[in-house]
Amino acid sequence: MTDVTSLRPVLAVLASGLAIPLILAARDRPNLREGVTVAAALTKFGLVASLVPGVLAGDTYTFEFGTLATGIELAFRVDALGLLFGLLASLLWIVTSFYSIGYMRGLDEHAQTRYFASFAASLAAAIGVAFAANLLTIFVFYELLTVATYPLVTHDETDEARAAGRKYLTYTFGGGVAVLGGTLLVFWMTGTTAFQPGGIVDAAAQDPVLARAAFALLATGFGVKAALMPVHSWLPDAMVAPTPVSGLLHAVAVVKSGVFGLARLVMHVFGPETVGELGVGLPLAVVATVTLLTASVIALRKDNLKRRLAYSTVSQLSYIVLGLALLGKDALLGGLLHIPAHAFMKLTLFFCAGAIHVETHTDDISDMAGIGRRMPLTMAAFAVASAGMAGIPLLAGFVSKWYIVIGALEGGGVVFAAALLVSGVLNIAYFWPVVYQAYFESPDGHDEKPLLEGPFGGRSLRADGGGTDGHGSTEDGRSGPDDGDEDGGILDPGAGDDRDDYDPDRPEPYHEDHVDDDDHEHFHGGPPEGGWAAVGWRGGESTWFMLGPILAAATGAVLIGVAPYAAVFFRIVEAAVLELPGVVA
Amino acid sequence: MIDHVPVLLIVLPIVAGALPLLAGLVSDRAGWPIAVLAMVGQTGLAGWLGYAVATEGTISYEVGGFAAPFGIELVADGLSAAVAALIAVVALGVLGYVRTAGPREDSFFSLYLLLVAGLTGMTVTGDVFNLYVFLEITGLAAYALVASGRRASAAVAALKYLIVGTVGASLYLLGVGYLLAATGTLNMADLAAKLPEVGYDSTLVLTAFALIVGGLAVKVALFPVHTWQPGAYATAPDSVSALISALVSTVAAYALARILFSVFTVEFLRAVPVAQTALTVVAAVSVVAGSVLAVSQTDVQRMLAYSSVSQFGLVVAGFAVATPAAVVGALVHLVGHAVMKGGLFAATGVVRRRTGATTIRGYDGLSARAPVAAGSFAVLALAMVGVPPAVGFVGKWYIVLGAIRGGAWGLVVVLLASTLLTLAYFARMVERMYFTAPPDPADEEDTAALADGGDPTDAPVSPGMVAVVVAAALVAVALGPTVPIIEGAIDATIQTLLQ
Repeated sequence: MTDVTSLRPVLAVLASGLAIPLILAARDRPNLREGVTVAAALTKFGLVASLVPGVLAGDTYTFEFGTLATGIELAFRVDALGLLFGLLASLLWIVTSFYSIGYMRGLDEHAQTRYFASFAASLAAAIGVAFAANLLTIFVFYELLTVATYPLVTHDETDEARAAGRKYLTYTFGGGVAVLGGTLLVFWMTGTTAFQPGGIVDAAAQDPVLARAAFALLATGFGVKAALMPVHSWLPDAMVAPTPVSGLLHAVAVVKSGVFGLARLVMHVFGPETVGELGVGLPLAVVATVTLLTASVIALRKDNLKRRLAYSTVSQLSYIVLGLALLGKDALLGGLLHIPAHAFMKLTLFFCAGAIHVETHTDDISDMAGIGRRMPLTMAAFAVASAGMAGIPLLAGFVSKWYIVIGALEGGGVVFAAALLVSGVLNIAYFWPVVYQAYFESPDGHDEKPLLEGPFGGRSLRADGGGTDGHGSTEDGRSGPDDGDEDGGILDPGAGDDRDDYDPDRPEPYHEDHVDDDDHEHFHGGPPEGGWAAVGWRGGESTWFMLGPILAAATGAVLIGVAPYAAVFFRIVEAAVLELPGVVA
Repeated sequence: MIDHVPVLLIVLPIVAGALPLLAGLVSDRAGWPIAVLAMVGQTGLAGWLGYAVATEGTISYEVGGFAAPFGIELVADGLSAAVAALIAVVALGVLGYVRTAGPREDSFFSLYLLLVAGLTGMTVTGDVFNLYVFLEITGLAAYALVASGRRASAAVAALKYLIVGTVGASLYLLGVGYLLAATGTLNMADLAAKLPEVGYDSTLVLTAFALIVGGLAVKVALFPVHTWQPGAYATAPDSVSALISALVSTVAAYALARILFSVFTVEFLRAVPVAQTALTVVAAVSVVAGSVLAVSQTDVQRMLAYSSVSQFGLVVAGFAVATPAAVVGALVHLVGHAVMKGGLFAATGVVRRRTGATTIRGYDGLSARAPVAAGSFAVLALAMVGVPPAVGFVGKWYIVLGAIRGGAWGLVVVLLASTLLTLAYFARMVERMYFTAPPDPADEEDTAALADGGDPTDAPVSPGMVAVVVAAALVAVALGPTVPIIEGAIDATIQTLLQ
């Protein structure tokens, strides 16, 4: 284990940091501007990837900038855990950059320069979080990540986007304040904030109340970005952002930075032994379990595809947190492996949703019956990724979930293992209908969806023919156009069919783009008049700027599932877990 | 020559302050060059003083050769040298802004230099009554500067400032009188030696403390004696707002720290815990109340004024906690806030000239109409919120760490919450500037405001003005990582102050 001083971690952060002024300067030449983004992404990935062999061999790459405050250095230290997150973020940024080009141009979006510049800044901050050597440095880049991603959330500049941005800032800065408080407490207790395998907080030497308070603050602070309940609600609202943002940032970079912070907390600040001695692992595991089940149940009820994926993300992130909280070797392996596994799968799913939006302006699942005819490759990738989410073998999600379940059973937490298996079933419940209806149904002949349409409290046939209270105002914020009928239909027994309240042709408020402002007054998604047009399997359904990344991400998910060791992520995860003291190979 | 640096720091601006009036007999435009030359000289002297303090330790100087404690003694340690340098640099920077923006009368520059003289005098004096004299000089210059905008609202605000400010200065003077009655001396070092003999918990000493702190709190504009500030900042000419928001309350807070640590000393705080608690509570209330009031404002400059109330709460809290880390943090935040607030006011001036916007709604879509000003405003706003690695964050880190080490847990919670409170009123500015469509040009609201409040001799925006704003933003970010160096430099001073 040697520490090698190297400039490469700094250069990896600067690769996109320095791209920002170049992108701003190239605002009038879109192709050059996009070229800068792609070049920055490739450079960044190249630099990070060059660190892999050394880290797998046991070295860590360090660089110190100098003291920032009270003797704490602003420093980078690339170890296995940091490299895991860094490699993932930089690799997926390449894919996302190409996808962004297709998406933004397909929708003729405004403010593309600001978008690409903010993206570059976000990735620089994310790599900074990954490579941070101590809590103060991670806090610095954590806050910069918030600032850099805010313009992307508010990109649309509609009232809804601004409200989502405000909520995002409130939650993430609140989380930042909690992290700051926890960092200060740790510094006060131990005199250092540097990450060390096995932790710097010693349960025996510290006041347990203070140690638990510090853990709670740090866990809450990082948990905001990791979308643990109840501080998760910024994430569904942030789906108003353009889909590449939802995909890379809110399924990969930002939320994984929260999870990564929790991993650092459990493994390198407190250490699994101390967490166990203090007894704070159990509450964290309980919170994670509640989150993963509740979010899955909420997802069942969401008609907007991106919202459904958002709640799925909330749920899947808690798999990782659960793995970390269970503290055993297998649980840690599974939890950490789920970071790249989930990233590839969720990115695929979001990219599919975005491609569907660009090509057909359809955002709601209820409008997507038969869409497999129109977008076969996209839905195939969707099918593969959602199978992985459920934990089907030979796909990425299976390996990680297997380890977490084994870890739960080894630790005596049968409840947790059962919760994971139930969640797997729920995953199938909310993904399978999407895939099935895409290929095997058509706009005219599709089954009803009781989970989506059924009113809370159940349907009851009443004399007034209207639905019960819960119906018509779901969390999506829509109220059925026939709400008035609830009172007026007293004399009309035939108006008892609740499906009248549910209108797939109503305009969808999410993510207003500017393509059809001139053409249509009331544009709505959904199949055109004659049903979906049939498109072959050779990529005519969309631009290859979007299809390529979709298929690449799906392939990545398959690779991790089929050959986890060869796909280098598992080896990095193993190195990260094995370097903890007390863990036997 | 080097022995006379402390007194030269005061003499230079006073003498230079008379020159614009004399030169006015000959030329109308002589004021600005004289002021610039004087400020360049001031910066040089302040730098020299800083170097001398760093190499030799605390410097004392007896004015007129009269020995202390009967004569007036000037004392410069690391804290005074830092603040003196801040005054000189900020005054010089704002001059770059004044050239195009500000009032250009010779009398304005005389007042400007008189203000600098008063502020510097407050900084280097070692005598409590001398502090009062310079406090009043500063006040008088500030009242006149606020009124120099020639608007009716500026005159009213200046009058309010004068009345409230004089009440505050009078409270301070009463406190000084009590100290004299108790100990028979006005020299700070002598007082520090004699007060324990009188007894820290004697009524005389406690009353003196309360009066002095109360008087200075008015000048610092803590809640609830801040009421002069929003009107003064909002109606003064933009360059004056930038200058006094950056310096006047700052030096008053420095004076509070000086009295607290060099006259009453940490021993007093230990002997009378109630005093420390009371000061901490006042500061904490200021932090919260200032932010709450700022959120409810519609005029941008008034919002910034209330923001100052909140930020000075942070600074005074740091001084009140009195642990080394907290005092370093308070000093860092003092300096950092001066740069950030001055820059913000300068930016609002540029925006007002470019677009006529003075209300928050007028800032909609500013990124398209005034991109550089909007960008600098956003950077300064985020620095105030405490986004690392800017100076706002580093100061806060030190203060909170000091509070934890001092065991002031309630204060820790308030200080951490201050980030979110500051975010509440600054985030919406950033949102409006970048993510909201510009207001309809036919909207009468802002043009009406301009008709009421705009200076009829408004000049267009010069590159110098924009340069000042951008420089403030860059310094605010760059100052953060340099704090450890500053901490090392004043470490000896802090140790002495806190014994």
